[in-house]
Amino acid sequence: MDPQLSPLLVARNLWKTYPSGADPALRGIDITVNAGEIFGLLGPNGAGKTTAISIMSSLLRPDAGSVTINGVDPFRFPARGKSLFGLVPQDIALYPTLTVVENFRYFGKLYGLKGRELDRRIRECLAVVGLEARADRRVETFSGGMKRRANLAVAILHDPKLIFLDEPTVGIDAQSRNMILEELIRLRAMPGRGMIYTTHYMEEAEQICSRVAIIDEGEIRITGTPAELVAQNDGCRNLGDLFLRLTGKRLRD
Amino acid sequence: MGKLFATIHKELLLLFRDRAGLLVLFLMPAALVVIVSLVQENVLQTTGESGIRVLFVDRDRELLGKTFEEQLTASGAVQVVKGSDEMDGEAARKALADGEFQFGIIVPEGLTEAVQKRVEQQIRSAFHSDSDADAVDTALPEPPSLTVYFDPLVQGVFRAAVLNALHRVLLTAEMEMKAIAFSQVVPGEADRILQTLMGPSFPEGLFPRVDPAWGRERLLAIQARQAGRGGFLTLPSSVQQNVPAWALFGMFFIVVPLGGSIINERQGGTLKRLMTLPVPSSVLLLGKVLAFVLICLLQFGVILLIGIYLMPMLGTAELEMGTSYGTIALVVVSAALAASGYGILLGVVATTYEQVSMFGPVSIVIAAALGGIMIPVYAMPELMQEISRFSPLGWGLNALTDLFAREGTFRTVLPEIAFLLTFAAGTMTAGWWRFRRMRIE
Repeated sequence: MDPQLSPLLVARNLWKTYPSGADPALRGIDITVNAGEIFGLLGPNGAGKTTAISIMSSLLRPDAGSVTINGVDPFRFPARGKSLFGLVPQDIALYPTLTVVENFRYFGKLYGLKGRELDRRIRECLAVVGLEARADRRVETFSGGMKRRANLAVAILHDPKLIFLDEPTVGIDAQSRNMILEELIRLRAMPGRGMIYTTHYMEEAEQICSRVAIIDEGEIRITGTPAELVAQNDGCRNLGDLFLRLTGKRLRD
Repeated sequence: MGKLFATIHKELLLLFRDRAGLLVLFLMPAALVVIVSLVQENVLQTTGESGIRVLFVDRDRELLGKTFEEQLTASGAVQVVKGSDEMDGEAARKALADGEFQFGIIVPEGLTEAVQKRVEQQIRSAFHSDSDADAVDTALPEPPSLTVYFDPLVQGVFRAAVLNALHRVLLTAEMEMKAIAFSQVVPGEADRILQTLMGPSFPEGLFPRVDPAWGRERLLAIQARQAGRGGFLTLPSSVQQNVPAWALFGMFFIVVPLGGSIINERQGGTLKRLMTLPVPSSVLLLGKVLAFVLICLLQFGVILLIGIYLMPMLGTAELEMGTSYGTIALVVVSAALAASGYGILLGVVATTYEQVSMFGPVSIVIAAALGGIMIPVYAMPELMQEISRFSPLGWGLNALTDLFAREGTFRTVLPEIAFLLTFAAGTMTAGWWRFRRMRIE
């Protein structure tokens, strides 16, 4: 079997109902992400994307179902399971009064890196996101794009097999967005690596995702490559058309 | 261990870059120690420079007026400011109403003369039987009263203290006048009685003269000493009381930056990232606790240095800490752990920074008030004294004052250490449990 197509993430029959909610946020969804893939999880607000990402990244325990990352259940074996992935949250999850290097060093140590390896990975990640010249500046002084790039870099410090990206390009300029997308494509090409990507930008998903799933009301409505999905649905010129057809034009909360 | 040290280092970096937080943690308790110690130094008169100003109007201008003035001045309890002899009660009332003085004392005109006559009459009455009572003038008027005016803002304790001092002065003056009168009247009365008994041929002046100074001689005295465990101690200074009190108060104020750091991580998104890292929640919380315990120790050290070096320069006594340094360190670490535990609990229970920054300080001020930081517990009503037994600041203060001023030992402060550590363990366990629920619902 091609190692680039071996399953990196397998989520089966995930169910979740929040104590405050009447309806389930997830209704038995299945997701498989293979190595070498960027898997796009698309859906309107409140569709269940963040709940799914939270469960798969072990932030939230499901009511039912299972998750394995590279064969490891992160709920049963948190230390091993969590070292296999990195999360790029929607928020800028950095300490604003620390410099970029101080942030990288702290999170790197928590990932278990140390000594020269840590120094090397910090240098590499700074280079990847183009922040070498600003390494000793506090994050609070950065522009939105620079913060997003640093936010991404922290998640790849420990060179994880799987990366969860929750809308990593929200609110940034075209240059920063282009840089992030190019980096994701470069990471995808690395052996044994995979990503789950959520976004509201359909053109982005078409540009970088190997496969996408459109989720709404806690259920996955359709899965496939962007090209296949557009071709299979008459009248849809692109993923945006298909998205609106499947999820409707009703405004969501 | 590397992850724990990384977390401690990160917390310290964040704290030292938060200037407002540092001001709260270091400047506030330092300022409180300096200001409150200096204020209390005057109240307790350990420097002999009282701030209570008394307007003294001597309209008597005789023995009693002069005695009152001398003794009030000598007491050191008040600062005597002499008013014009012509000043009447209305003028004194106005001066007090203007806030110039806290007390006004008016010695009425003719007081000495009236009291002298009264005393002589009392003594003569004692020597005369009912049959010759006509020989004594019993129609003398009551001597005029001494009038004392108070500023209405003067608190009851000070008011009582000044009144007590005045009563003492009155009693002394009265004793002295009676002694003088006794010395003058008794020899004449004795001669008269002897002549009555022995006949007119009995020579006068046989009865010895009495020196009026005997009335001034004090037979009974109070020696006030502090009861310490190792024997009698010197009087604890305001510095000795305020340094441990406000140092503890400052230490417990770490609940704001500590609880706030958890809220900031939650609201900023870093907590979400931390929760996906291969690090147990106990390490994340322990890192915070240890970083803030270090800060507490640093705070305490700074306050101690202020007590030892700065306060004497400002005219107060130097801080004396007793000899149980190891036990003092243990109490401080226990108090720091208790404060950190409370901060963790507050940080995981509160949902906004505003809640932490409001509830944290208010709860600490309440615990401080109950714990005797502001007013000694023994001065509280019985119910409040019972409630004060549940204040962690009270436990810490009891232990430290015991070690500083009563020659306490590890054994004597063990209950307080146990209470503080139990509080720390309870709040940290509850905080950790809640934190884990935040991680995975």
